[in-house]
Amino acid sequence: MRRVATGERPDWRATAQSHGFVFHTLDGAPYWDESHAYAFSLAEIEDGIEGPSGDLHALCLAFAGHAAEDERILARLAIPETAWDAIRTSWRRGDPSLYGRLDLAYGGTGPAKLLEYNADTPTALYETGVFQWLWLEAGLRDGRLPPGADQYNAVHERLIARFRAVAGPGLLAFSADAQAPEDRGTVAYLEDCAVQAGCRTAFADLPDLGLRPDDSLCTRTGEPIGTLFKLYPWEWAFRDVFGGAVGRSPTRFLEPPWKALLSNKGLLPCLWALEPGHPNLLPAYFEDDPRAAALGTSYARKPLFSREGANVSLVRDGAVLVARDGPYGAEGFIRQALADLPDFAGRRPLVGSWIVGDAPVGLCMREASGLVTGNDALFVPHFIEPG
Amino acid sequence: MDATQDTDGSRTRSKRSQTVSLVLIAGAGAAALGLGSLDPSQREEDVLVYADAAACAAEAIRPAEECRSEYEQARAAYPTAAPRYASLTDCEGHHGPLHCRPGSEVSEQARDRFLPRMAGYMIGRRAAQGLAPQPVFDHAPRPGHAAAAAGHGGYCTGGGARIVTGSGGRASAARVQTASLRGTSFGGFGQTGRSFSAASHGTAHGSSGGG
Repeated sequence: MRRVATGERPDWRATAQSHGFVFHTLDGAPYWDESHAYAFSLAEIEDGIEGPSGDLHALCLAFAGHAAEDERILARLAIPETAWDAIRTSWRRGDPSLYGRLDLAYGGTGPAKLLEYNADTPTALYETGVFQWLWLEAGLRDGRLPPGADQYNAVHERLIARFRAVAGPGLLAFSADAQAPEDRGTVAYLEDCAVQAGCRTAFADLPDLGLRPDDSLCTRTGEPIGTLFKLYPWEWAFRDVFGGAVGRSPTRFLEPPWKALLSNKGLLPCLWALEPGHPNLLPAYFEDDPRAAALGTSYARKPLFSREGANVSLVRDGAVLVARDGPYGAEGFIRQALADLPDFAGRRPLVGSWIVGDAPVGLCMREASGLVTGNDALFVPHFIEPG
Repeated sequence: MDATQDTDGSRTRSKRSQTVSLVLIAGAGAAALGLGSLDPSQREEDVLVYADAAACAAEAIRPAEECRSEYEQARAAYPTAAPRYASLTDCEGHHGPLHCRPGSEVSEQARDRFLPRMAGYMIGRRAAQGLAPQPVFDHAPRPGHAAAAAGHGGYCTGGGARIVTGSGGRASAARVQTASLRGTSFGGFGQTGRSFSAASHGTAHGSSGGG
């Protein structure tokens, strides 16, 4: 695994615009950065990332199966009791999931370590599946990349295949906060994939979703929604006015309610308890668990619910290295052993390993200047060096 | 998981999508994606449409006191019942020129959007229908329609359903699809997220928290 200077295409911004990548720069700060790229060997991809990602996802499914039926675990994850039925029902019924992103600390040496699972509302999907792919094809054409270079990125075709496999009857609606360009762009991309899979689709801004007397969700026109893709976290949806209707609703959801079991940082101590010593897991405990003392004075402290690294702090030898502020933490914290992100020329890349359905399908690299990957991280493309 | 197991013969070693194409986004940008509008065929029911409580009282189908209280209920429902549009042009396209206003006049949540003005309100023909009073909006005139000649396109509900009125498009008696009215509420998802994004200065990419 190397970080290599590739040089950026002079016209990439126009290319981005013409492919609908309107959020390549956010609030004046760069997000997409192709001045350099990460180069992997095929073995690093297959044995270091793809294989372990499949194992981790399977372990997560095993956990979800017994967590859905165990009220002590549901309470431990701070999931409101009003949501338990919705979670159990969706699991027992086998409601399919669409996608998720495992965030891994991996630098090419030693096993990848799971930092967390963004199993409910991950973004960075379009830039992985489309714009990163276009970058590779352009690099092969113009010689910026060596002939035969490849990319671990079947995201696009697997998403279309997944929609084809799981589409239910009726309208497939996509919802997000329409005023957040990145969220809107992500669901626009997913809607595009669904259309290519033959689904009948519509977009609805979150406030434009309606609830009918039979507890089905509907669009502004009153048309019932067969399946609702929502880029809106379950822990928020459960607390909203419509949250109580989810368990009774004939509408199906992507991601399904049972994904709330995995998008919770409480997953990490639960997985460690299931498989202590697993090579791809870090020791982790709920903060109020006396066994957390086993971590000593070096650990990451994470709220059960948070995003973009908010409210995460890193402690080494009793000294706080980083403490991110933010609005989260009311539901409690976990502690996880420190796994330093690898250092490439002072930059700290995080591997985002995509799962579509139940299969690992590709990766994205997000590069931060520090040890917590927040919303100031850059998206940097990757390629597989020819063997 | 091993790419060599792929059935495609031409690129058995590849770990990337063979082709990537977009049908909705490309060329236009995500903003070009419009809201879907589909017409479910539903039962209709009888309603009354009035510009305000005085118009209701003048017709004397309902007691004046009920007219006033129902009008107030419809006004209270307006900020969440009104559809929202990304631009004034979109809004006026649906509701006609001069019938729209900036969302910032209505509520903090509707900031940066455009909403149709409340043109009147709608109640059930009979109290026994148990229909919650709700605001109605002007609909842009459609060329060739009788009402369009008078510069009026009739009314629509917050859900976009056309309200079919009697002569001239202004009579109080009207019919509207049952499903578009009865018991459907809007705006019940998103509140919790807004309270968090206000605290963290907006949503941003990543959804991650490495450590």
